[in-house]
Amino acid sequence: MNKKDKSFIIGGVIVCLVIAVLSPFLASSNPDGLEKSAENLAVPDNGLGYEPPFPDYTVGVFGDSPLAEIAGLAIGILIALGLGYAVAYLLKRRKTTESE
Amino acid sequence: MHIPDGFIPLWQCAIYYVILIVALYFSLNWARKNLDEKMVPLMAVLAAGIFAIMSMNMPIPFGTSGHMVGGALVAIVFCAPEAAIIVFTLVLLVQGLFFGDGGITALGANVLNMGIIGGFTGLYVFKALRKPIGKYPAIAVASWLAIFLAAEAVAIEMWLAGTFPLIQGLAFMGLYHAFIGIIEAVLTVVVIMALEKLRPDLLAWNRKRKVEEIKPEAGEVVSK
Repeated sequence: MNKKDKSFIIGGVIVCLVIAVLSPFLASSNPDGLEKSAENLAVPDNGLGYEPPFPDYTVGVFGDSPLAEIAGLAIGILIALGLGYAVAYLLKRRKTTESE
Repeated sequence: MHIPDGFIPLWQCAIYYVILIVALYFSLNWARKNLDEKMVPLMAVLAAGIFAIMSMNMPIPFGTSGHMVGGALVAIVFCAPEAAIIVFTLVLLVQGLFFGDGGITALGANVLNMGIIGGFTGLYVFKALRKPIGKYPAIAVASWLAIFLAAEAVAIEMWLAGTFPLIQGLAFMGLYHAFIGIIEAVLTVVVIMALEKLRPDLLAWNRKRKVEEIKPEAGEVVSK
């Protein structure tokens, strides 16, 4: 990986983390379009009973503070980045000597 | 617009999973042929970015909220809906498994709406409108339409599942996402403008143009 790509990744992650930090203050706690439509149409909410480790993007140990959501989003951003990198790396076109 | 578990009967979830598997088969083939080393950091950063914007609900009128999706963004940057399918499968998997946003059983349907419908609509509307109305207006219209049609697809799936009545579902989902679409359009244009300025080499259309520019030059050398 060259320097340009490294700074691109670092820059991208910084932008994402800025979104994560602003999120607890900017984001709306109103239900989203689908939930609201379901509410309007009185659809019962019955899930599978699966308990994700960080429900609603919050990390339990931080309680109700904005930090709980920032930490949750930051963890998610890093997981998505790592997974995206790993999958793209595994899938990428193999370098063949003929194409060089 | 993440469909949670329990909104779609399991046998219908299975159909959406079949669609997902077929789409992934084509997308992985695309990646093996077209994804080069340079695109690896781009795909990683887009996955992180899509995660961030899909997790943040922006307030919109009518006491509801919505998030950007970015299906058009990924498809346009790569000039390939296949890239959107790969990125959205990854991000929706992370959101469903770790954060309870979007169901595990509904993963197939969620990728269909945001990745497949969003990606194809975004890219092909952009391609169709690029010449008549210009690059950035075309990106804005394409990304608005991508999220709007994805939302309407959710309404249709909810109707097929017997969860929403068709007309009200289409009306509510359409109305809310018409507003979210405006935010989506602005941000998609901003991100692509930023990429064009900072890393034009990462945008698929610049890469294609470069190849075309090099070819005639090589021809000239030979003719001399």
